Amino acid sequence: MGDDGVGWRVAERLRGHPLIPGVEVDQLAGGGIGLMERLIGYQRAVIVDAIYTGKFPIGSVHVFGLEELENSFAGHLGSAHETNLRTALELGRRLGVALPEIVTVVAIESQYVYDFSEVLSPAVAASVEGAVQAVLGLL
Amino acid sequence: MSERITIDPITRLEGHGKIEIFLDDEGEVANTYFQIPELRGFERFCVGRPVEEMPLLTNRICGVCPEAHHMAAAKAADAVYKVTIPPAAKKLRELLYSAFFVTDHTTHFYALGGPDFIIGPDAPVAERNILGVIHKVGLETGSQVIQARKYGHRVVEMIGGRKVHPCTSIPGGLTQGINEEQRAEIEAMGRWAIEFAQFSLKIFNQIVMGNPEYVEMILCDAYTHHTYYIGTVDENNRVNFYDGRVSVVDPDGMRIGYYSGAEYLDWIAERVEPWTYLKFPYLKKIGWKGFVDGKDSGVYMATPLSRLNAADGMATPRAQEEYERFFSTLGGKPVHQRLAIHWARLIELLYAAERWVELATDPEITSDNFHTVPTEKPSEGVGIVEAPRGTLTHHYWTDERGLVTKVNLVVGTTNNYAPISMSVNKAARDLIHNGTIITEGLLNRIEMAFRAYDPCFGCATHAMPGKMPLEAIIRDAHGEVVEVVRQYC
Repeated sequence: MGDDGVGWRVAERLRGHPLIPGVEVDQLAGGGIGLMERLIGYQRAVIVDAIYTGKFPIGSVHVFGLEELENSFAGHLGSAHETNLRTALELGRRLGVALPEIVTVVAIESQYVYDFSEVLSPAVAASVEGAVQAVLGLL
Repeated sequence: MSERITIDPITRLEGHGKIEIFLDDEGEVANTYFQIPELRGFERFCVGRPVEEMPLLTNRICGVCPEAHHMAAAKAADAVYKVTIPPAAKKLRELLYSAFFVTDHTTHFYALGGPDFIIGPDAPVAERNILGVIHKVGLETGSQVIQARKYGHRVVEMIGGRKVHPCTSIPGGLTQGINEEQRAEIEAMGRWAIEFAQFSLKIFNQIVMGNPEYVEMILCDAYTHHTYYIGTVDENNRVNFYDGRVSVVDPDGMRIGYYSGAEYLDWIAERVEPWTYLKFPYLKKIGWKGFVDGKDSGVYMATPLSRLNAADGMATPRAQEEYERFFSTLGGKPVHQRLAIHWARLIELLYAAERWVELATDPEITSDNFHTVPTEKPSEGVGIVEAPRGTLTHHYWTDERGLVTKVNLVVGTTNNYAPISMSVNKAARDLIHNGTIITEGLLNRIEMAFRAYDPCFGCATHAMPGKMPLEAIIRDAHGEVVEVVRQYC
C-alpha cells in the first residue's frame, strides 16, 4: 500500500541493527484491538507508521507519545471496521491485561497511503533512515 | 428555487467518508450523496503475479477481514487450475473460516454495532464505544470478547499458518493439516465459543429487545427498505459461509434463482454514477431503476440479514432455533429492517461456533490428504465466499503459465453501496426537517444507518491512528453550506 508500508521498511532496517536484549521487531497490518493484543506482555512499545495530516512536509518524521494524539476516536466510529488503538489499550488495561506503560509513536508524514504500490514515494523513502535513527534513539 | 450542484468526483476524498445532504426550499432533505474512498490500483497491482500468490496478496486488502479475501482467492485459484480440493482440505478451510467468523462478528457486535444499543444512540461520544459496553455489561464480558478473539486467532494460526493473515491455502488445497492434539484444542475452544455466542444473544435479548425504545428504533420505517437479498446456501438451502451457491430472493422472500462462481456476471452488473468513484452493483435480470426499493428495482443487499432471508434455515440446531425465533418475532420472512442486521449477526455467530465444533469433530479433519496437485492448464476462475459483511467474489484471469492478466473483485461492502446510500438518505430525510438542529446524536443516528451494514470502506485504514473520518455537509436549496459536522477529521 505505497507509503502506508513505510513502517514495514523501517522495521526491516531495524532488524539489521544490533538491538538491546529484550527488544523485538515485528511487522503487522492492522490496528485497534488486534494491535493491542499484540502488545500484551510488553513494558514498552514503539509504533512506526505512516501518518497523513496534511500539515507537515511529506517525509518529515515525528515522535510523540500515543497519549498526545487527540483521542477524537473516543467514539467507536474511529473506523467503521474497528476501534482505535487508544480505546483498545484502555479496554485492555481495564480488563487487567498487562500492556506497555509507555507507547511511543514514530510517524512519518506520508502522501500516497491509498494507492497500491510496492515502492514508497521518493520523499517518504528518503525518510526511512531518519525514522530508524529516531527509533534507535528511543531504545 | 433549487440549484443544480455538481459534485466533482475528481476531488480526492483523502480517506474521508463524506455525506452531502441537500435541503430544499422548505428545509427538508431533497437528497443525500454518500461518498466513500476507493482503493486504487489493486487490480493493476496484481497483474503479472502468479495466481498462487493471490491468497497471500489479497490478505493485505483488509486488516480486519483478511481471512475472507484469502479464502475467496484460494477458491478462485483452485478454479483457475480446475482442481477439486480433497474433502479434508475443504473442511479445514471451512473450520478456519468458522473461527474467523466468530472473531469478526464478536468484534463488530461489541465494539461497533453493540454500543448503539447497549449504550444508546444519544449517549455522549465518549461512552458510545466498547469501553461503555464493558462498563454496562461488566468486565467479565470484556474478558470474554478478548478470549473469543484469542481462540479464533489461535485456530487461524494452527490451520492457516499465521494468526490473522493465513498463508496455507494453495491451488489444490492446503500446505498443512492438523494433528490430533491440535484438533482437541480446537474442539475445546469451539465449545467455549458456542457458550459465548449464546451469552451474546442473551445480552441482545435483554438489553435491546427488552427495551421498547430500541425495538421501536429497529422496527421504524426510517431504517427499513424492501430490496432483494443474496447469500450463499448449501445443498439444503442452509446458510454456509465457505461454499455453495448464491441464493437470490425478491423483496417478498421468493427465490428467483441461484448462481455459482462462474455465473456471477450473468447476475450482477454495475452502475456508474458521476458523483462517486465506486460503482453500484445491481441485479442484471431486474435492471437498474435508481436508488429505490421494490421488486422492480435491481438493488440488492448482502449482509447477515440478507443471508438469513436468502436461506431456508441454519444448518446447526441452536442457530436454527434462534433463526426461527428471529423471524417469528419480527413478523415473518423476509425481514427488511436494517437494524435487525445486528441480531442476524449474532445468530450467525452462534452458527459459526456450532459449525466450528462440527468440523473439529469430523473424522476426516486430521487426514493427511489435504492437497491435490493441479494438472490442468490455468486460465480463468471465480471464488465466492461469504465475508462477514457480504458476499465476496474474486475473479481471476491468467495466461497459460498461471500469471494473472486481469482481476475483478466484488467485495462484501461493494454489494451494499446502493442500499447503504438509500439507508443514509432515508434516515436523513426522517431526522432532518426545517429547523432541526444538527447534533452529534442526530449524525450518529444517520451513521447507524450504515454502521449496521458493518461496512469495510477501503480497508486502507492502517495508517495511524487507523481511522475513517466522516464529514457530513448540509447544504441549502442554493447549494450553500448550512452546516458541517465532522468526526475525526
